[in-house]
Amino acid sequence: MAALSGGGGAPWRRGWLPALQFVRRGSKAVTRHWKAMHFQRQKLMAVTEYVAPRPAVPPRCLAPRKETREEDNGYVRLLRRQVEEVFRNNRLIAVCQYNSMPGEDVVLMRHYLRKHNIEVKFVLNEIVRPVLSQSKYKNLLPLFVARNILLVSREAKVKEMLRVLKGVPQINLLGACIDDTILSRKGVENFAKLPSLEASQGQTVGALALLPSQTSSLLQRGSAHLTALLDQHIRRLQAGETGSPAEPGPAQSSGAH
Amino acid sequence: PGGVVVPRAGLKKYVLPPDYSGIIFPERTKLKFMDKVPAVPKVRREPRRLRDIRGPSQVATDFTQGQYGIMALGGGYLHWGHFEMIRLTIGRSMDPKTMFAIWRVPAPYKPVTRKSLGHRMGGGKGPIDHYVTAVKSGCLVVEVGGRCEFGEVKPFLTQVARKLPFPAVAVSRDGLRQMRQEEEEKKLNNQNPWTFERVVTANMLGMRKYLSPYDLRLKGRYWGKFFLKHRV
Repeated sequence: MAALSGGGGAPWRRGWLPALQFVRRGSKAVTRHWKAMHFQRQKLMAVTEYVAPRPAVPPRCLAPRKETREEDNGYVRLLRRQVEEVFRNNRLIAVCQYNSMPGEDVVLMRHYLRKHNIEVKFVLNEIVRPVLSQSKYKNLLPLFVARNILLVSREAKVKEMLRVLKGVPQINLLGACIDDTILSRKGVENFAKLPSLEASQGQTVGALALLPSQTSSLLQRGSAHLTALLDQHIRRLQAGETGSPAEPGPAQSSGAH
Repeated sequence: PGGVVVPRAGLKKYVLPPDYSGIIFPERTKLKFMDKVPAVPKVRREPRRLRDIRGPSQVATDFTQGQYGIMALGGGYLHWGHFEMIRLTIGRSMDPKTMFAIWRVPAPYKPVTRKSLGHRMGGGKGPIDHYVTAVKSGCLVVEVGGRCEFGEVKPFLTQVARKLPFPAVAVSRDGLRQMRQEEEEKKLNNQNPWTFERVVTANMLGMRKYLSPYDLRLKGRYWGKFFLKHRV
C-alpha cells in the first residue's frame, strides 16, 4: 500500500518526504508458509492463467495416425531377401499347415524329404506377407495365416513329397506353387498322378513322330500292294501248276523293283 | 483371412545394449562428506537475506558429468542433516563400481543464528546455531551417472527427493529437456491473450502497485520460495 504525502509550499527547505511510502505490514516477501496474496494480485493470477488450445475437431474424432515402423532392422531385411531368393530359385514351393510335432518326428521328416532334395523352411508370416504382396504371388497371401512351413525344391517330385506327408499326420498340405502355377491340394494330387516330364515328352514326341514314320510306308504302299498282288498271283499260278519248278514270276517282279 | 488365428510370438527384435562410451568416472564414485561447519567459521553474524531462496536458480541448472539428478522445484535451505541423509541413502542404494554421484550444491556456508529458547525479544542477535546452503528452484542438488539406466536410479532418487525440505523431482537429461520443451510449447500455444508478463511490463490497470518490482523478473511463476509449476 502506498500513502501519498507532500510537503507544504517548499518541501526542499524543511525536509522532505518521499512521494510514495511503502507501508510495511505483514510478513516479509519470502516466507516459509504460503503468504496470502493481495486480492488484486489474486485476480491478476486468475486472469492470466494458462488456457490450453482446443482444436475445432477433437483429436479422438480424427483417425489415429498409424506411425509406420521403419524396417531398419537388418535381420528383417536379411530374412526378406532369403524369402525372395527362395521364391526365385525353386520350382516347387508347397505351403503346409504345421501343427506341433515332436522334435524327432520333425527331424525324420526333414531327413526323408532331404533325400528327395526337398528342403523344409520355417518362415514367419510377418516377413512373408509383405514380400508376397509386392511380388506376383499375391494369391498365395491367404495361405500364410497361421503356423505354416514351406517345402521347397528345385525339381518337382510331388509324388514322393505326398508320400512322406501322408506318413506325417500333423502336416497338412494347403497349396503349392509349381512352376509359377498356383495349385490347390486337389491340383497337387492330380499333378502327382500325371506321368513324369520325360515320359510325357516321349509320348508327345512319339505322337508327333507317328505320322512322319508312316510317310515312307504310305509312299511305298502302292508298290507294296502291287508286289503283294503279284506274289499272290504267282503263288496261285504255282499252286495251279503244281510241280513246275521254274518261277520266273517272282524273279521278274524282284527284277522290276 | 478366414480361420482362427492362433497368436504366436513374432520376430524377436534384438535391441542393442546402451552405449556408455563417453562416460568418465570421477576419482571417488561415492558422495563426498560435507562438513557441518566450514573450515573457516564465520565470525561476523550475517543478515537473513532470504532472497537467496527466491526466484529461479542461475547456478547448477544443467547436467555436467552425470546423466540423472535431483532437481529442486522450490527454494529452501539444506542443513547438515539433509546432506547426511542424501549421502547415506545414495551411498547405500547405488553400486560404486558402475555408478558415480557428485554434489552440485556447496557445503553449508550461510550461518543461521538462533536465540536460546524461552527468552524474551531483544538483547541483540543470537549466536550462530548452524550453517545451511541456500537452494533456489531449478537447481540440481546431486548428479548421478555411470553405466546405469534411469529406471535403476529413479527409485532411490525419488526417495531422497521426497525427504528434502522443498519439492524436488528425479530427472534425467532427456526428462529435463522434455520439461523445458513443454514449457516453451505452453508459452507459445497459450490461448489466453493476457499474460502476467504482459500486464506487468505494461503496468496495465496500475497492477504494479500490488506487485513487487521483482515480479518483472519472476513473471508470476514464483511466489516467495514457491515455484508455481502450473503457471505459464
